[in-house]
Amino acid sequence: MARRYDSRTTIFSPEGRLYQIEYAMEAISHAGTVLGVLAKDGVVLAAEKKVTGKLLDLSGEGGYGGSGEKIFLLNSNVIGGVAGLTSDANSLVNYARTAAQQHLLSYNEDIPVELLAQRLCDMKQGYTQYGGLRPFGVSLLYAGYDPHYQFQLYHSDPSGNYSGWKATCIGANNGTAQSLLKQEYKDDILVKDAIALVLKVMSKTMDSTTLGSEKLEFAVLTLDESTKQPKAKIYKPSEIDALLRAEGLAKTDGDTEMKSA
Amino acid sequence: MNTFVERFTTNASNGLFCGNGAVEEDEEFSDAMWGSEAGFGSLARGVPSFTVPSVSDPAAFLRLHTDDHADPNCKIKIQHGTTTLAFRFQGGVIVAVDSRATAGSYVASGTVKKVIEINPYLLGTMAGGAADCQYWETYLGMHCRLHELRNRERISVSAASKYLSNLVYGYKGMGLSMGTMICGWDKTGPAVFYVDSDGTRLKGDLFSVGSGSTFAYGVLDQGYRWDLSDEEAQELGRRSIYAAGHRDAFSGNTCNLYHVKENGWNFIGNYDISKLHYDGPGDVAGSPGHGYGYDLRVEGRSSVNAPEAAPAVAAQA
Amino acid sequence: MSIMEYNGGSVIAMVGKDCVAIASDLRLGNQALSISSNFQKVFPVTDRIYVGLPGLGTDVTTLRERFRYRINMYTIKEEREIEPETFAHLVSSTLYEHRFGPYFIEPVIAGLSKTPSGGVKPLIAAADLIGCLNFAKDFVVAGTASTKLLGVAEGLWEPDLEPEDLFETISQTLLNSVDRDAFSGWGAVVHVITKDSIISRTLKGRMD
Repeated sequence: MARRYDSRTTIFSPEGRLYQIEYAMEAISHAGTVLGVLAKDGVVLAAEKKVTGKLLDLSGEGGYGGSGEKIFLLNSNVIGGVAGLTSDANSLVNYARTAAQQHLLSYNEDIPVELLAQRLCDMKQGYTQYGGLRPFGVSLLYAGYDPHYQFQLYHSDPSGNYSGWKATCIGANNGTAQSLLKQEYKDDILVKDAIALVLKVMSKTMDSTTLGSEKLEFAVLTLDESTKQPKAKIYKPSEIDALLRAEGLAKTDGDTEMKSA
Repeated sequence: MNTFVERFTTNASNGLFCGNGAVEEDEEFSDAMWGSEAGFGSLARGVPSFTVPSVSDPAAFLRLHTDDHADPNCKIKIQHGTTTLAFRFQGGVIVAVDSRATAGSYVASGTVKKVIEINPYLLGTMAGGAADCQYWETYLGMHCRLHELRNRERISVSAASKYLSNLVYGYKGMGLSMGTMICGWDKTGPAVFYVDSDGTRLKGDLFSVGSGSTFAYGVLDQGYRWDLSDEEAQELGRRSIYAAGHRDAFSGNTCNLYHVKENGWNFIGNYDISKLHYDGPGDVAGSPGHGYGYDLRVEGRSSVNAPEAAPAVAAQA
Repeated sequence: MSIMEYNGGSVIAMVGKDCVAIASDLRLGNQALSISSNFQKVFPVTDRIYVGLPGLGTDVTTLRERFRYRINMYTIKEEREIEPETFAHLVSSTLYEHRFGPYFIEPVIAGLSKTPSGGVKPLIAAADLIGCLNFAKDFVVAGTASTKLLGVAEGLWEPDLEPEDLFETISQTLLNSVDRDAFSGWGAVVHVITKDSIISRTLKGRMD
């Protein structure tokens, strides 16, 4: 029965559902996990890469704007994490970057995080109502800072809906991760504890057995102490390995076990 | 140009009312003239003769090539842009001028003498076309001397200014650009007359002329009183020229200050306007003791760290 | 009056030994009336590139914001800072986009580009208001006092000046040239860019 109503976004089914949007969300549930946690003094994002392999050329410096596949710098005060169709994600990230610069041009201030989320969502909603085009198969997490509401974390989906979160997860195994976060998350958590929490949850939900920089992308947004400006740091592979070692979660050798610090 | 003047001048020595043709250099003079008024040098014709381009309307031709307002890209840039001021008070007349001459936006000179010393007790200021002012005020000086010789007494400021005014009126419409103040001390006391190339002649207490005059008026009007002391008056003149030199792009460089008293004028001094901004006029009567520029006093200040209140200025009605 | 002369202002850039300097006056006027002695016309683009924008005041601000937009997009996408020569071409194409309704600005660019060996190569450039680039080896000038700046620079500049000497040369050039221009002056600012630092100094100029 659904078959008659699922080929176009611009029509409802008799049950009042828009199937194309639901199918888009289904696509996202197969994509790599992205996890975000809001702390008192920052926001932490982590993501599982799906495109890996020995033949991948990772020689570029990367990490500055996020030349990974999951985490991108949207503006100096917002980092975005994407889950879903990579090509759609690239297009949306480009749109977000342009929208942020356009706001800077008009108002001479960094775009407020919620406003950036709204811009993207307005566009995504348009693709569910006009034009007969398919929706974007991407969910995004926005980790950002603005002087109005300080640190914020938002999640938007293909329908064009968004909401603010203290901790959330998108992509594969997001249900598991979400319930884990619900148990473990505390208000007033600090960034360093949030990092530990994120890594712990990631290791439980990721497909692979151990965490490593070839499967993990990581980013943190904090406030620079001296300039009081938001500081976005997307970790380079070597920095991820160093972080994992510091947290005691690094990959172990076959025979020897790593002793805790 | 010559023909216009001669056609309409009332000076019978060279009037053309009789309907003669073009005047020759050594034409006979009419019977009305006698003695020294007839014959000595080129004065016979009252005004010097000028060669005029042989076009149908020389005035329009000239205006086409020199009028800055109509066409900023005109071929001949006459130097103007200036601030001059003069005011009379109980101690005489204060005359203060800047020294910048501009041709378009080019600063042609920063050392122009804009006060013309007509004679030891009469001063004229220069505003507008530099050449026009210089020439005709020197010419005026010549006539004032003649007046003294003929009448055995000094010419009054009123008469001198009227002479100049009538003279430039004869060239009205031809593009002379002059806004001058004739200042002196005669039998009636200190006097200032404003004369310009449109033909205006006004007696008054206080005038400022030139592109920077509005800025000078601001300072002058708030500080002026009849019973200023000599030092206060000089300081007021200096401060007003500074204000204009600072704000007006076409005025600046230095300020020349003169004081006319009963026995003649005195040159008070030449002050670099930029130095006035940073250091003030230095060790001079009436000096406030610091630079005139306000940004020096408000540097780094804000509403939570305000400058000290200025000492109360004597209240003015 | 010409639109380029409406607000007034001038900029000059010079090349030294492994350094560049860029300087401008600080005046903003409304034809003959001087309004501000604090109007910034030279802006940092990256740590090593500065751009000077003399001309119509509103376009100074607008172009500065437009370049900021494009530089931010470039930096985020390319994941590196833009090189001076690339930036010069960005300026040129931005101006030519408005070929038939131009910005009334004649930009001056000064920067240090990275060499493969890890050193720096100085680069200066100037553009006309529709984007024609001029890469000079010695100095470039723009603004209402440009003719005067060219003359004095021609007399004072010599190659391979050290940063301190370059600072003296460019300062004297600027100060004396703007004193001959009614629409420039009211203070000056000089930036000397070397491999390790940028030193900015405000000069005490004639305030008339």
